[in-house]
Amino acid sequence: MSRSVVSNITVKKRLLFLFFIMALTVFLLILRLAYIQFVMAGDLQAKAWEQWNRGVPSRAPRGTIYDRKGRLMAGSASAESVIALPAQILDKEEAARLLAPILEIDEEKLFEQLSQKSASVYIKRLVDEETAQEVRRLNIRGITFAQEPKRFYPHGNLASQLLGFVGVDQGWSGLEIYYEQILKGRDGRFEFQADGRGRQIPQGIQRFIPPEDGHDLVLTIDQTIQFIMEREMDRVMLESQPKGIISIAVDPRTGEILALAGKPDFDPNRYNEFTSDSWKLSPVTDSFEPGSTFKLVTLSAALEEGKYRADEGFFCGGSINVAGSSIGCWTRGRGGHGAIDFLKVVLGSCNPGFVTLGQRIGADKLMQYLKAFGFGVRTGIDVPGEGIGILFSPQQYGPVEAATTAFGQGVSVTPIQQVMAVAAMANGGDLMKPYVVKEVRDSEGNVVRRQEPQVVRRVISEETTREVTRIMELVVTEGSGMNAYIDGYRIAGKTGTAQKVGPGGRYIGGEYILSFIGFAPAEDPQILLYIAVDAPQVGPQWGSQVSAPMYKRMMGDILKYMNIPSSKTQVNEAPKMVEVPNLIGMTLEEAGELLEPSGLLVRLIGSGGSILNQTPKAGAKVPLHTQILVYLGGEQVEGEVPVPDLTGKTMREAGEILGWLGLVMNSSGSGVAVSQDPAPQTRVNVNSVVNVEFRTPGDTDR
Amino acid sequence: MKQTVKRKEPDFIILFTTMTLLAIGMVMVFSASAVIAMENRQDLYFHLRRQAFWSILGLAGMIILSNYDYWKLKRWTNAILLASFLLLLAVFIPGLGVEIYGAKRWIGIGGFTGQPSDLAKVALLLFAAAYLSRKDIRIGKFTEGPLPVLGVMGIFFGLILLQPDLGTAMAIAGTVMVIIFVAGMPLQQIFLLGLSVTPLLGYLMVSKPYRMRRLLSFRDPWADPLNTGYQIIQSLYALGPGGLFGVGLGRSRQKFFYLPEPHSDFIFAIIGEELGFIGAASVLLLFFLLLWRGFKVALMAPDLFGSLLATGITAMIGLQALMNIGVVTGSIPVTGINLPLISAGGSSLLFTMCSIGVLLNISKHVK
Repeated sequence: MSRSVVSNITVKKRLLFLFFIMALTVFLLILRLAYIQFVMAGDLQAKAWEQWNRGVPSRAPRGTIYDRKGRLMAGSASAESVIALPAQILDKEEAARLLAPILEIDEEKLFEQLSQKSASVYIKRLVDEETAQEVRRLNIRGITFAQEPKRFYPHGNLASQLLGFVGVDQGWSGLEIYYEQILKGRDGRFEFQADGRGRQIPQGIQRFIPPEDGHDLVLTIDQTIQFIMEREMDRVMLESQPKGIISIAVDPRTGEILALAGKPDFDPNRYNEFTSDSWKLSPVTDSFEPGSTFKLVTLSAALEEGKYRADEGFFCGGSINVAGSSIGCWTRGRGGHGAIDFLKVVLGSCNPGFVTLGQRIGADKLMQYLKAFGFGVRTGIDVPGEGIGILFSPQQYGPVEAATTAFGQGVSVTPIQQVMAVAAMANGGDLMKPYVVKEVRDSEGNVVRRQEPQVVRRVISEETTREVTRIMELVVTEGSGMNAYIDGYRIAGKTGTAQKVGPGGRYIGGEYILSFIGFAPAEDPQILLYIAVDAPQVGPQWGSQVSAPMYKRMMGDILKYMNIPSSKTQVNEAPKMVEVPNLIGMTLEEAGELLEPSGLLVRLIGSGGSILNQTPKAGAKVPLHTQILVYLGGEQVEGEVPVPDLTGKTMREAGEILGWLGLVMNSSGSGVAVSQDPAPQTRVNVNSVVNVEFRTPGDTDR
Repeated sequence: MKQTVKRKEPDFIILFTTMTLLAIGMVMVFSASAVIAMENRQDLYFHLRRQAFWSILGLAGMIILSNYDYWKLKRWTNAILLASFLLLLAVFIPGLGVEIYGAKRWIGIGGFTGQPSDLAKVALLLFAAAYLSRKDIRIGKFTEGPLPVLGVMGIFFGLILLQPDLGTAMAIAGTVMVIIFVAGMPLQQIFLLGLSVTPLLGYLMVSKPYRMRRLLSFRDPWADPLNTGYQIIQSLYALGPGGLFGVGLGRSRQKFFYLPEPHSDFIFAIIGEELGFIGAASVLLLFFLLLWRGFKVALMAPDLFGSLLATGITAMIGLQALMNIGVVTGSIPVTGINLPLISAGGSSLLFTMCSIGVLLNISKHVK
C-alpha cells in the first residue's frame, strides 16, 4: 500500500498495555458489582426497606385500672392529635398562618414543622374536641387527625401517688410506670411503601398490623376505704398542718393493700402543676425511725422466747444504764414509771422496760427477729421505688444499739415494712408479701394473671400473736391508745411518737412523727391500719391527740363500710366515763405525758409555755373522748386576741373560755353553742363582746 | 501477504454491541424515567421520545461517517476545533447558555439544548490524532509533539472546569493523554509530566470544598447520608436489592424519587436493580467487547492517524463507561458523567454515535 503502515512496535505495545488495563478495570468492576449485589445485598436490602417503608401508627388503647370491686380508677378516653402530611400540603405558608392561632403555636415554628421532609409530623398532640372541629372546618389538604388515647383519673387526687400518671406516651410514676409493659399494649401500624417524596407507591406492598390493646389491672385497693382514709388525712392536713401524712390499710390475712396514700399528693390529671416530690409514693419510698410502734416487735420476740411475764415486777427510774450509757424513758421528767409490772411496761410504753426485754432476748436473737419480721429488706410490693430502711450493721451493733433498737430508736424502717410486721401479729404469725395488683385482665375481660397471697415466712407462733393482740387491745382500752377506742368493737393498737432524724443523723428538736398502728376486729382481724403524721404545726404533738383519733375515725367508718358486726365477746371495754386530771401549772410536755393514757382529747388555746387554766375542771367525770380545753395564755398581751371556736360548748364553758381571753360573752338561747359572732379566729380587741347562740341539742336534732 | 484495495465490511462486533447497547439504553431510559416524567411533565414518554429522536439522529451520523473515509476528517480538524472552542465560550453568554443546578454546561438553540463539551471531546481527540500523526512531528521532542496538544487540551480543560464539569474535563484529559501515550511519548517525559501536574490536580480538588467532600464521601457514604453520601447510598439501595436476577423490568423502587437522575447518570443502578447482576454484568461485558474491537481496530489501522483516532474514540467511550460504572458502584468519587450509548442524553449520544461511525470506517480499512 502506498499509505504508510503503522508498524511502530511502541504503538502496538502501548495499545496492548492500555487494553490490558481496561480489561482489568472491567474485571474489577464486575467483582465490585458482585460484591454489592451478593455480599452486601442483605444489609442493603434491609436498609432500603427501612427507607421505602412508611408507617402510620395505630395506637393501642392503654389498659384501665379498676379497684377491687371493679370501680374505675384510671381510664383512657380518645382524643385527637393533629397530624400533617407535609408532601400533600400545597401552600405551607398559608396553612401555617391559618392553623397557628387555633392551635396556639408560633406561626414560624409551625411552618418549619410543615416543611419537614418526613411523611407525617405530629403538629399538636391530644387537642380538645372544639379545637379539632375548628381545624376540621378549615379543611386544609394534608392536615389530618389521629385518634389517640388520653389518660384520665375520675377521682383526681384519690390514690394519686399509687396510680401515678401517664406523661408523654408512657407512665411516669406509680402503677402507671410499674405496670407500663402490661398497660400499654402494642401499637399497631399501617405500613406501606413510599416514594422519595413520602407518597404511597401504587403497586407497593402494604400491610396493617393491628394494635394489641393494653391489659387492665384490678387492684386490691378498695376505693371507698381509700376515700375514707384520704378524707381523714385531708382533714388533719388542714387542722394540724403537718408536713405530711402517710396511711396504709391492709388485709392482714392476705397482704392485700386496701388503701394506701401519702399527703401532700397531686392530681394526676394536672400532674405538671405539682412538684415531683408529691408524685412519689411516700408510704413505700420513705423510711424513718419507727418509735414506739416498733416495741411490738420486741414484745413479740420476748413472748416467743418466753422472756415476758405480764405480772413480773419492774422498776422504772426514768432511765437505764446500758454498757455505761444512760438511756432515758420518756417519763424521765417525772422520775419514771416507778414500780410497775411488765404489762404496764408495754401499756405505758416504758423504754427501760423494753431495753430489759431486749437484753433478755439477746442482741443477736433480737436482730434475727427483726429480720424475720422483714425489716432491712424490701417487702417486694409491686410499686416503684420501694425503700429499704436501715438496721445496724453487725459491726455497729453493740449493747447500746441493741438497747435502743428494742424500743424503736436508731433504726429506720418504711411504713410498709412496719405494716407487714404487725400484720404477722394479726394473722397468726405469717409474714405476708404485700401486693396492690390482684388481677391482670385482657381487653376481653379474661384473667391473664392472678396474684395469690404469698407467705414469706412464719415468724411467730399463733399463741404469741394471741397474746400480742390481747395486749394491743389493752393499749386501746386503758393505755395510750384510748382515743382510738371504738365502742362495740375489739380494737388492737399502738401509738408511736418518734423524734425526727435530720439529714446529719441528729434529732430535730421539737419535730415528731406521730404514728398509730392497729387492727380490727381483734378476734378476727380483717383490716390493719397504719397512720403516721409528720410534725403537726398546730396543736399538741402527741400521738394520742393526733394519730389515735384519726385511727378511730377511719377505722370506725371502714368497719361500718365493710359491714363488720360489733364484737359479741368484748373482753375488755374502755371506761365510759373518765376523770379529768389537774393540768393547771404544768408545762405542755408534762401535761402530754399525763394525758397520753387518759382517753381525753385536748384542745389548746393560746401559745404560752404552761397551762393557766382548764375546762372541765380537775376531778370532773366526763365521757370518754371528751375534749377538754386547755388555756396556755400568752395571747392577750396587748390589744388583740383571736376569737376561739365555741361550737359545742356549754354556756358555762363558753363563758369561761372567753373570760380567759378577756372577752365578754353575750349569750342567747340555752344548751350548747351553735353559732357565734365574730367568727372563730377573727382578731378582736380585749374586752370585745362575742355573741353566742345556744340551742338544746333536742331542738335541732331530727 | 496480499493486500486488497477493495473495502471490507465494517467490524460487525462493534456494530452489534453498539446497537445492543443503544437498544438497552432505550428500554432502560423509558423504564427509569417514566415516573419522574409523569410527575414533572405529565408525559410518560417524554424522555423516551427524546432518546428515540437523538438515537435516530445518532444513527444517521454513524451511517454517514462510517461511509466517509476517515483520513478526510483531517481537513476539518481545525474548523471543528475552532467551532467547539466558540461553543464552549457560548455557554457563558447569558441567553444562549443554560444554567442547570448551578452549572453552565448547556446551550439552547430553539427547542434543543446541547452540551458543547460533547463536541469538544470529539474535536480534541481528532486534533490530537491528526497532529501527532503528522510526519514532521517528532514525538520524542516534548516541545514538538506533546506540548502543543497538551496546550490546546489545557485551554479546553480550563473552559470546561469553569462550567464547572470536572468529570467531563477529566474524561477529555484522559482521552488526550491516552492518544499521546500511544503515539509514543517517551516514558520519562510522561513521568515528569505526571509529577508536574500533580500539584495542579491537588489544588483543583481542594479549592472547592464540595469537591473534597464528594471526593471522599464514596469511601463511607453513610457518614453523611443526606448530603455528600446521598447519591451513592441511593445507588447502592438500587443495586443491593437487585441481587442476581433483579426485581424485574420496570419494577425499580429507587426510581421513585429516591435516586436522582435515574435515567441519566445513575441509569446503571436502575439496570442493576431491575435486571440484577446478570443485566448489569452483561452491560459491562458489552462495553468490554466494544473496547476489545476498538483496540483491535487501532492496532490494525492502516496508518498512524487511523490508529490514534481509533485509540482516542475507544478510550473516550471506555473511560466514560468505566468512570460512570465506578461512580454508580461507589468505587470512585462521584463525578457527573453519563454512561455512553445508554444514559438519556442528546448531544452526548449524537457525538458518541458519530465517533463510532468513524471507528467503523477505520475498521473497513484495516489490514
